[in-house]
Amino acid sequence: MSIKVLIVEDDREIRSVLRTALAAEGFEVLTAVSVSEATALLEHDPPDLVVLDLGLPDGDGAQIVRAVRSRSAMPIIVASARHQEAEKISLLDEGADDYLTKPFGVSELLARIRVALRHRGTTLQPATTRYARGDLLIDVDAYRVERAGRPLHLTPTEFKLAARLVRAGGRVVTHRQLLADVWGAEHVLDTHYLRLYMGQLRAKLEAVPSEPRHLLTETGVGYRLVVD
Amino acid sequence: MKSSMETDRSRAWRGALVAVALLSAATVVCAVLDAEISLMSQAMIDLLAVVAASYLVPRLVAVGTAIGAVAALNFFFVPPRYTLAVEHREHLIALVAMLAVALLVSYLSTALKRESAAARESESRAGQLRSLAIDLAAAGSEDEAVDIGRRALLERFAGPVLLVTSVDGVISSGVDASEDVRRALRCCIDEAAVLGPGTGRWPGLDSWYVPLGAHGRVVGAARIEPALASDTIGREHAQAIAALLAQGVWRLRLLEASLAARAEVERQHVQATFLASVSHDLRTPLAAIVAAASSLEAQRSRLGDAEQGRMLAGIVAEARYLTAVTENTLQLVRLSAGGGALRTEWQSIEEIVGSVVGRLRARPSGGRIRARLGRALPLVRGDATLLAQLATNLIDNALKYSEGAVNLTVVQRGDRLLLSVKDRGSGLAPGDESRVFEPFHRGRDASDARGAGLGLALCRAIAAAHGGSLGVSRRARGGCRFTLALPVAEQPAVEVLP
Repeated sequence: MSIKVLIVEDDREIRSVLRTALAAEGFEVLTAVSVSEATALLEHDPPDLVVLDLGLPDGDGAQIVRAVRSRSAMPIIVASARHQEAEKISLLDEGADDYLTKPFGVSELLARIRVALRHRGTTLQPATTRYARGDLLIDVDAYRVERAGRPLHLTPTEFKLAARLVRAGGRVVTHRQLLADVWGAEHVLDTHYLRLYMGQLRAKLEAVPSEPRHLLTETGVGYRLVVD
Repeated sequence: MKSSMETDRSRAWRGALVAVALLSAATVVCAVLDAEISLMSQAMIDLLAVVAASYLVPRLVAVGTAIGAVAALNFFFVPPRYTLAVEHREHLIALVAMLAVALLVSYLSTALKRESAAARESESRAGQLRSLAIDLAAAGSEDEAVDIGRRALLERFAGPVLLVTSVDGVISSGVDASEDVRRALRCCIDEAAVLGPGTGRWPGLDSWYVPLGAHGRVVGAARIEPALASDTIGREHAQAIAALLAQGVWRLRLLEASLAARAEVERQHVQATFLASVSHDLRTPLAAIVAAASSLEAQRSRLGDAEQGRMLAGIVAEARYLTAVTENTLQLVRLSAGGGALRTEWQSIEEIVGSVVGRLRARPSGGRIRARLGRALPLVRGDATLLAQLATNLIDNALKYSEGAVNLTVVQRGDRLLLSVKDRGSGLAPGDESRVFEPFHRGRDASDARGAGLGLALCRAIAAAHGGSLGVSRRARGGCRFTLALPVAEQPAVEVLP
């Protein structure tokens, strides 16, 4: 059975290109042009993944994210223009899985979809607890971090931070989510904590900390671990 | 000018007392010296009193003094004494002649007195107008000019004085006056005519209403008290002050209008060049996209795989370039509009540069980037998206205008964080150091490179919005160096966790 993707996008051209591109990759594609149409489709013909455009004519993408999250862990990828930054971040904080900044290439979209689908049904399967890419290994369950085969020593806070990113499995984790999960809800605005600890973490995990290859900054949004 | 009927009368009474005193004194002196001097000397002493009185007392009293002096001389000293009868014909002639002389002297000296007073008065009025003209010429604002005018009027008139300005016949707001006063002010402005006592217009009013300026360009009006119908000179002086004030206000308004007009022309010029530059930057890549896409549409069957691939890659590259131009333009407009509230948070410059370099490395020319960052760099407060865009534009620009390595360094120097991007390109033309940041400037070999123009203008706007600066200098052996200096604030406190 092929994977069903719902594209919520009000621009006809973009909708049609995305439909063609995703169909060519073997996805079954549903489209909706408004919040109401999307809500109806989600109700009657639930897809496996949603690509949600911001700035729909009849309402707020947040409605859709909330409606989906109240029922399932269905991956949601938010597509937004640069000026919708704030809305995008609030949707990520509310539980959207990842984002794309318009204009984006089809290959970027496919990469995001692949990452998102990897976690399909995370409510049933155990969450990702292991990251192995290149010379870096992070095993959350075993409390072990290695670079080029040598064990690294992380402080408990650094380890919590790394573990949070590993569990996201390649999806972006927003500043707010990281601060809340590692330092606690009262620190969600203290982005300087992140700057400092991410710096320390990179210094240990990356060969060239100023040009990271694993632990990427999503400027203005958050961080992610690169997965292949 | 500051007079009334009441003070006139009391002055006459005082004058009469002075005259009586003078005459009595003269008569007493004559009586004391009666045995030693002749009637002629006594007449001279009396005449002296008349001359003195004509200087000291009002005119009518002075005339009375002259008559009184002759009568007193006749009564006390001309035989037969103690009667008003005159014995000798010679004495009668002398008395008549003396009366004539006394009246003439009195008349002449009061006239002289009046004229010298008038001359002093008019000199002081002229002096006031002169200094008013000088003060008004130095006034920098309409409020200041009006204030100077009000002070000048209050120097001459007891007040109260009300000064209002108007634009196109509409009185400026914030004037505290009754409806009657407002109506009179409006009428005075509309008709550009003086109203009030002695003017023949609205003579029943208790003050003068003097327009500021002549017909067609009245800039306000003054309400002046006290206003006497007979005080023509006072009214004319008030009009002179009003005329000077009107000129001053008019000059300031013209100046303001011409400055505004110049600013508007400037703004339109900037806007026009900005639009021309943006539309050029948008049109060129669009032309490339349309050419490649239409060629693929029409000639696909005749194009080889390699050619098709090249065209497709071109379309993608041009579209990315369009995205960058659009992004730069929007951010620049947002920043120069002063709005768009910077989202400032503590940022790690290492992180921002890292993500920018990482992204640019993926491009074909990205291999030329060499980044070197200092250790333990401080955090800076700023908007990560904008700072990333600044770094992107600077590196982009260096890659575009040079063939060799592009060196990026970040170091801390005192309370500044310096980010430099250096290339070995063709460098800057002398004098281009500030022009490269103008929104429409196209650098060096404008013919073969796309305008980075807006990109650098945006960089400078971003630097300024962060309280920093961005400059460019020519390097000794070719190429140039862009340096961003950001202020380093006191670092935030961090609760240290293990």
